[in-house]
Amino acid sequence: MFDETLALTNRALKKWVRNPFTIIPGLATSAFYLALFGNSFNPTNLVPSSSLPAAAVSQIKSTILGTTFGGAATYITYLTAGVICLIIVFNMSFGGIDIVLDRQLGYFNTLLTSPIARASIYFSGVFQNLAKAMLLAVLTFVIALLIPSGLELPSSFGVLELLGAFLAFALLGLGLSCIFTSLALAARSIDSLIAVVNFINLPLIFMSSSLFPSSSFPSWLKAISDVNPISKADEAARLLIVGGNPAASGQLAAFTGDILYLVGFVVAMGILGYLAAARTMRPE
Amino acid sequence: MTKKIIEAENLTKVYKGKVKAVDNISFSVDEGEIFGFLGPNGAGKTTTIKMLNTLASITGGRAVVDGKDVIRHPAAVRDVIGVVPQELTADDELKGMENILLAARLHHVPRGEAHKRAVELLKLVDLEGSAERRVKTYSGGMRRRLQLAIGLIHTPKILFLDEPTLGLDVQTRTKMWEYMGRLNKEQGLTIFMTTHYLEEADGLCDRIAIIDHGVIKVSGSPAQLKEKVGGDVLTLELTDGPDISDYLRGLPDVYSVAKHEHVYRIKLPRTERALPAIVEGVAKKGLEIKEISFTKPTLDQVFLDITGKSMRDEDSGESESWVQNMITERMK
Repeated sequence: MFDETLALTNRALKKWVRNPFTIIPGLATSAFYLALFGNSFNPTNLVPSSSLPAAAVSQIKSTILGTTFGGAATYITYLTAGVICLIIVFNMSFGGIDIVLDRQLGYFNTLLTSPIARASIYFSGVFQNLAKAMLLAVLTFVIALLIPSGLELPSSFGVLELLGAFLAFALLGLGLSCIFTSLALAARSIDSLIAVVNFINLPLIFMSSSLFPSSSFPSWLKAISDVNPISKADEAARLLIVGGNPAASGQLAAFTGDILYLVGFVVAMGILGYLAAARTMRPE
Repeated sequence: MTKKIIEAENLTKVYKGKVKAVDNISFSVDEGEIFGFLGPNGAGKTTTIKMLNTLASITGGRAVVDGKDVIRHPAAVRDVIGVVPQELTADDELKGMENILLAARLHHVPRGEAHKRAVELLKLVDLEGSAERRVKTYSGGMRRRLQLAIGLIHTPKILFLDEPTLGLDVQTRTKMWEYMGRLNKEQGLTIFMTTHYLEEADGLCDRIAIIDHGVIKVSGSPAQLKEKVGGDVLTLELTDGPDISDYLRGLPDVYSVAKHEHVYRIKLPRTERALPAIVEGVAKKGLEIKEISFTKPTLDQVFLDITGKSMRDEDSGESESWVQNMITERMK
């Protein structure tokens, strides 16, 4: 099954890499989100800089970032983890379109009449979307570092922190990919997939702490946000991106808790997703 | 005794508990045979193929492929079959060779063997020069040929072909027939095919079954089926002389004789079989043949006789239209 999964994942990635129209818009979206959200949602822009002395403005901005945004050097520093989570959510959501097309064009049936394990079809769908999303996540991180007033990493942020942040993103991606791959396998048309996906992903995003800290939410929304895996991933990554070494900042337990939550999310979604996907691959 | 490689007994398929697509059909296919499944759209051809190749569940009856029960051992069935679907499923963004090697990997063909076999098959379908080109640059005919090669990469015992020459020009279609004939003769491959081209079924198939409304109406060799609709018509123009209609009627294998002036129209099952006796009889009666010609019945006549419609009158159903449109787009 491993070789079959690898072969099918490889097929999908080759197609993706060979089609520049799929990668370039993905990168442009990352830059666009960072620039757009980083400026339009930036609460420090609300400080009336023209009517206050420069020192006072700087102090107010610093206080806002320190109290509400965990001490991030810039709003984009706070936002980067959230934007990467958004990129992952959107890529996972719409990554299933290729699966629907495979079904509509008959390729899916050629897979079903070949002697491969059905699980390899499902897991190749999961891994191909994860690989695409993670590549875009890395590139988004680089873009955030390069843009003006962008991502400013703390001095204690090293390779382990980088790996830890991307572990959180990868776990989120894997769990979401399990859900959305099984939805794509069940969908019989692109229209129906998009309708279902939009029904799921928009509330999921806006009920998370991707763009704003959940401490500013009303209690009912905060309760939802606190169990939302997107919040868990961006908070885990943000602990490292904003705070640096979690042991030094006293956030190791919070980070570990978020990662364990995400591991549980992946296991649950993997099992549920596979059971749902297996039903869609039964003889008609 | 020839082995029966496909056996269907009282095979039935009911979709969603109400639409009976296939109704209690039974047939068998001998090993090494080319078996044609003909019928109007919606007759149950594709559903039957889907049940045999494990894509569709079986509501009633049973199907055995190469000795394996399709319901109980679907994985074993998939090991021995190759499927060339109606849709053009080769990946546009991959090269011809990449497509065929991917299929080899999914069929567990060892890597060293896969490459050798891929080269052989691409040569067989005249695509060896285009193996390293992306499929999106292929013509419709090239895609169909590639698809045939993909279906054969794991050396299946049985090849299911669903409309293998749909949308091809006459030349490419003839080439495809040649490949299929060669595979059958040289490698003993059993082929189960559906087609809309009756001349294709006539020229290629050892036996044919015509299905309509989910029921097999008739089956047999193309010659047997044509005999059933009245056989050949032999037209003889003779020199002046006595009327020999009754004499001709008495000859073996003659169904009927009609005479107009000196021209006799003789209906008979097979001209080749009856002609020597007729020619000899005419000579015995002291007459000479001025002109002779004969026409053979076509499978289209058989189809018309059995289903009440001509294959050429067929319209596609809604879902098939979508597939046809996609095929047409990809054939461009």
